[in-house]
Formats: sequence, C-alpha cells, structure tokens
Amino acid sequence: MTTTSAAPRQTVKPPAVRRSFVERWLARIFLAPTVLGMALFTFLPIIASLVLAFFRWDIISAPQFVGFANFASLAQDPTVRVSFLNTIGFVVVAVILQLGIALGLASMLQARMPSWLRVFLRSTFFFPLVLSAASVSIFMRYMFNEQFGVVNWLLSLVGIPAVPWLTSPAASAAVVVLVYVWQNFGFSFLLFLGALTNIPKELHEAANLDGATGWKQFSNVTLPLISPTVLVASVMAIISALQVFDQPYVLTNGGPGDSTRTAVMVIFESAFQQLEFGKASAIGLVLTVLILAVTALQFRLSRRFVFYQ
Amino acid sequence: MTSEKTPGQQAPSHSLLSSSKFSQLTRRSMLGLSGLALAGATVGAWPRLTGADIPGRGSKALNIAILGTAADAAGRQGLIQAFTAAHPDIPVQLQAIQGADWKDFFSKILTMVAAGTPPDVVYVATEGAQLFADKLAEPLDSYVRRDAAAMSDYFDDVHPSLLEAFMYQGSLYQLPLDWNAANMYLNTTTFAQAGLERPKDDWTKDDFSATLRALRKARPADFTPYYWTNRLFGGVVPWLYANDTSFLSETKAPGGDWLWDRFYPNDPARGTRGGGYQWLAPNAEDGRVVETFDYLRELVAEGLGVRPESGGGNALVGLFGNNRIGTTPAGGYWAQGLHEAGMTADQFDVQFFPRWRTQRHQFGAAGYAIMRTAKDKDAAWEWVKFCSSREAMQLAIPKPNTTPTRRSMVNESFYAATGPRHWKVFYDTLDRFPTSGPIPAPPQQAAVETALMKNVSTAVSGSSADVRAAMGNLQRDLELALRRNS
Repeated sequence: MTTTSAAPRQTVKPPAVRRSFVERWLARIFLAPTVLGMALFTFLPIIASLVLAFFRWDIISAPQFVGFANFASLAQDPTVRVSFLNTIGFVVVAVILQLGIALGLASMLQARMPSWLRVFLRSTFFFPLVLSAASVSIFMRYMFNEQFGVVNWLLSLVGIPAVPWLTSPAASAAVVVLVYVWQNFGFSFLLFLGALTNIPKELHEAANLDGATGWKQFSNVTLPLISPTVLVASVMAIISALQVFDQPYVLTNGGPGDSTRTAVMVIFESAFQQLEFGKASAIGLVLTVLILAVTALQFRLSRRFVFYQ
Repeated sequence: MTSEKTPGQQAPSHSLLSSSKFSQLTRRSMLGLSGLALAGATVGAWPRLTGADIPGRGSKALNIAILGTAADAAGRQGLIQAFTAAHPDIPVQLQAIQGADWKDFFSKILTMVAAGTPPDVVYVATEGAQLFADKLAEPLDSYVRRDAAAMSDYFDDVHPSLLEAFMYQGSLYQLPLDWNAANMYLNTTTFAQAGLERPKDDWTKDDFSATLRALRKARPADFTPYYWTNRLFGGVVPWLYANDTSFLSETKAPGGDWLWDRFYPNDPARGTRGGGYQWLAPNAEDGRVVETFDYLRELVAEGLGVRPESGGGNALVGLFGNNRIGTTPAGGYWAQGLHEAGMTADQFDVQFFPRWRTQRHQFGAAGYAIMRTAKDKDAAWEWVKFCSSREAMQLAIPKPNTTPTRRSMVNESFYAATGPRHWKVFYDTLDRFPTSGPIPAPPQQAAVETALMKNVSTAVSGSSADVRAAMGNLQRDLELALRRNS
C-alpha cells in the first residue's frame, strides 16, 4: 500500500479590483439611503420593539418597566394561544396549496400551447398579486355573504343550500385560506415558471430515452433540478403566511369567535386598539423568533432535498 | 504603505478638479454624478410636503380633528366661517381623519398624541368618551360654570340623558351635538306584502317575533326579516337593555350635582342622575344576559335573523333600499342614507325598539372634547361653546344624517324631504324612556368591544347549551379587558 501525500493547497487570490476614490464614494453615497432607511425603519424598530416588550406602555402615560410580565401574560391569554395555533394551521394549509397550485400551473404552461394563450394565462395567474389585499378582501366579503353573496347564489342554481361562508368557523377559515392562496400563488408561480424554463431540454429527452415519463420524470428529473427554487419559494411563502393579516382582518375580523384570528391581528389589536404596546411587542418578538426558527429549520433540512447543479 | 514623492513630481493639488483621483473619473461615474445632480435639483425644486405641513405643527391655529373625509371637512367650511366671524382672533384648522369606525379614529388620534402632534379639539363619540375623559380630555366644568348664563339656552334644549353620557367621575367632558338611539327601522313595502301594519309603540319582543315570522312567510327566500350587526351599537346591546340587563354591570359615579341642580332642576329623573356611568365589572353570566343571547340565537336558527357578522353599514342601506331586509335597528342617521339610496319617505318608517322587561333604549352621542394638551384651552372652549349654539348646529347638521341633540331642531321641516313619517320617535325615545342609556363604553372600550363581538358570534351560532359556554368565555374575556390599564 502506498501513501500519497496531498499536494499543498494553493490559494489563488483573485486580482484586486482597484476602485477609484470617486467610485468608492459614489458607491457609498448611493448605498447610504438604503442603509439609512434600513437603520431607521428596520433595525431601529426591531430594537425599540425588543426594549418595549419589557415595558407597559399605552402611548399616553410614561412607559413602566415590568420585566418579563408581558411574556408571562401571553401564556395566560387564551386569545394569543389560539391565534398562534390558527397561524400555524393557516401556514401549513395555505403554503401547501400555494406551492402546489403554483407548481401545477407553471408545469401546465410548459405544455405546447399558442404563445398568446401562454401570455394570457401567465398574466391572469399573476394578476391577483398586484391587487390590494384589503380591496380584494372587501370584494370577497360581498361575494361570500351568506344571504346576498354571488357564491351562494351560484350554488343555489344547482340546488345547493346557502353555506355560511363567513359565519361558521370551518367555512370562514377555508375562505380566508382560499382568498389568500388565490391572491398570493402568482409569485411562487413566476418563480417556478422561471426555474422550469431553465431546465435543459436534453435532460428530459435523456429521461424519455431511459423510459421515464410522467410522475417519474417529474420526481426524478424536474423536481431535483428546481429544488433550489422550491426552497426559496417555500421560505418566502412561509414567512409571508406567518404574517397574514389583511385577509382575515377584513373578511372575518378574526371570527367567528377566534377561529380566524392570527398572530399579527392580535399584535395590531393589542397595540392600536387596546393600547398595550408592550404586550404587542412581546407577541411580535415571539412571532419573529418563530419565523427565524422555521426558516433556519428549512435551510437545515434543505441539505437533504436541495440539489445545486 | 506610504507613497513617496519622486523627483520632478508635482506636489498634489488640493483642488478636486485637478486631483489625480478625480482625473480617474470614468464616463460611468461622470454620468452617475450628473444624474445625482439632476435628481438633487429636481427634488430641491419640486413642491413637496414637509414637517411644517402636518396639521397643527408649527401653527398657532386651533387644530380640530373630526372623523371623516376631506369632503366632510370641506362641508364644515360654513361653520368655520361663522366661527371666524364671531372670533376673528382665533384661527381654526379642521382636520378630517379617515377611519373605518370610531375605534379606528381613536387609534389614529392616539398615534398623533404619541407622535407629539395631538389636535387641540377632537370630535368624540360615546365609544371613546371615557377613554378620552380618563386619559386625554380636559373637564369642561369650570367653563360651563363661568358661562352658565350663555349656556342655558343649550341645556334647555338638550335632554339631560345625553349630558349624563358625557359625565365621567362627576365632571362633564363634552357637550353632545348629535346622537342616535337604536330604534327599529321598518321596510313598509315588505310590511305591506305581509299584510302588516306599523306596530304599536309598546310592542313586545313576542310581537316582534310574530312580525318576523309573518315577513318570512310572505318572502320565503332572498330576504332577511331582521338584519343586525355585530358591534356595540345596534347589536346585542339594545336587546340586553330591553331585557333590563347588560353584559357589564352598570353603576353611576357620585357627583354631577353642580350640573343637574343648575341646569336641570325640574328633570323628572333628577333623582337618578349622577356623576356619569361606570362599567366596572363583567356581567355576562347573568341569567337575563344568557336569556337575551338565546333569544337572538333562536331568531338566527329559525331563519328570522341574519348572523350578525354578515355585514353592516354601507351594504345594509342598499339591501334595505332593495326591500331585501324587513327590519333593522338604527338611529336617525339612517333617514338621509335611505333617502340618498332612492327610498321615498313612505317606503320606510321607524318605531321604538320592542319592549321586553323594559323598553329602555340604547343610544350613542358625540361632541367635541378639549385635549389636555391644547395650546389654548380658552380658545378651544370658545369653539366648543360656539358649536353648541343653534346657529352652529344648523350649519353643522343641515340634513338628517344624524339626530341633532337640540330638541328644537328635530322638527317637521328637518325630515320633510326624507321622512320617515314617524320622525318624532327619534327624540321621543328619551322622553318616553328616560332611563335609556349610552353604549356601555368604559375607558377599555376597544378591548371590551373585541371581547363582545367575538363571543356574540359563538353564542348565536350553536345550540342553547352553547350560549352558556359562550357567556362564560365572554365573562373571562371581559375580566381580562377591564383589567387593562387603558
């Protein structure tokens, strides 16, 4: 048995790019508004929220330091508990639907069809995303009205009795998910469309020659190749869904009962309606930690299913 | 690493243009600089908003905030002109703040307080009266006492119950200018279809149920006999009041004699007047509260009443105008809305809320509150006092889109163009049922309303047994809400 000694690793330094004095300052000047904006409107509020979580403050009176009392009160508040459970349930259902529908429709657009139809469908699928969530929700509230809504009227034409869309816990949760997914799948759809378009045709042709068709080809060729995009889309979808507010707020105002109340809704209600800014900050911090944990877990798990070319 | 000067090399100039660094300026950098300069020049020359444009900031004018749109503010220009004519030394700036409801409006006012730009005077409804009295508003007692002679005309014309709604711990915080009781609106077209007459003044809860059944029989589909909304005004509360109970225990603070003795010595209900309402404890598990919720649950289950979350406000006017609603609780503010929706004066009417154990009504009112932070409180009082005058109230309320608090303004001519025929019901509510009370709105009103609304949903959606469980949850939520510090 012979041993070979590994050759000493040589580090190759990339050629230094010399920037002129003016270019360096120009870069700083152009970056400054963004950095300043981030500092003022992102980092400062995060720090303020972190500090505020340890105070009781109603805007009007001076803040009172209360230690961990705000966090302790969260555990005892059934509305907060329910809202977090609702949010997690919402994320699971909405994200699976959103990514599934987006991937399905993006794959469908890969099929042969006239280019005008492809453009039309692409625009149609993306269109809801550019609408205001509040406007869409107001419109949908009329559509799903139990007595006078269009949806129940259509159902009545085929003999189906009126469904209490927004006034029964199960149906209202379903409507909130439906409206949210309808409005948001367009973004994931565009990401998937881009990823699918970039897969070299030869790979599918080779798979065809090897006899892989349909689901086999999708699961063994397509999915691994777009897995980085799936990761990005799922991370963004989960973060966005964890912060859902507009749709449940406008459609159901969190009801019936607490059935569609989400974590961000409770933050809004605590801060701007009940004037408990400390409690709202504490909920916000818990939600931030949850988002960070879920995102970190996704990246950790991604090592197993994401394949980079 | 330091650079060394080689022989013959010129000393670096301190001029930027002649610097060697500047001489390295690429075409791209040059274009960037030119763009920056152009953008700077454009931004500099463009007319734009600055901090000084924020109403109230850097201005000595009396800054008055109302709930509404810019059009609402413009609609009060006549009022401002009249005030300016009477008080040329007090400049006034009216700021309309948009919001979905009063809760939204109060949140925005509080945000302005936090931002350091609070208005001097705010138009506050009953929903926020105690929040403002507790935290933000200046008592009017000394001003009212000082100008008692001038104020007599106002108090002589305004029902004391409306004043009592704005008393807090013995002090008066607002002069109510408009108000509305939860009366029952009747769609006369659908009543005629069902062969029904306008109910009697003392109709009961059972008469009401029978009326709804008759309306349902005449219009089996695409129609709601009773439409109600899930909120503090016009929701479950009028039924609770009619059943001589409430979801919060109602007491009265001591004090207030200075007002009642001076301005309302002959008030038949003088013995019951106090220093303002107090809602200090939850009362959701009271037997009558459970009974009331169960009655509403039965109406929903029987298809006579809509689930209260189904909507309200704007949609409701349209649906009522299209004869798809038989009855709904609302105040005088609806007369103008229905008129604008195309209903003629004889297509709708109004009656007192039905009697249960009592025929006590619920009402809400609104008026200006002076902020404790007001720059010039005396000037603010002059505005409040002026707005309570008959001249000002006629300018502020030219149409029946609310009920003026001055009894003399609620007359035949006021409702001539809109109806309803029995417009007298609006003000008679207070005279016929003097125990009628305001919306139960303690300083923690927002949390209380949220607790009520979510449990109303649950209570009226299940079985009779579920009502008691829902009231248990409401009791718990209210305890939490009332424990809050605001």
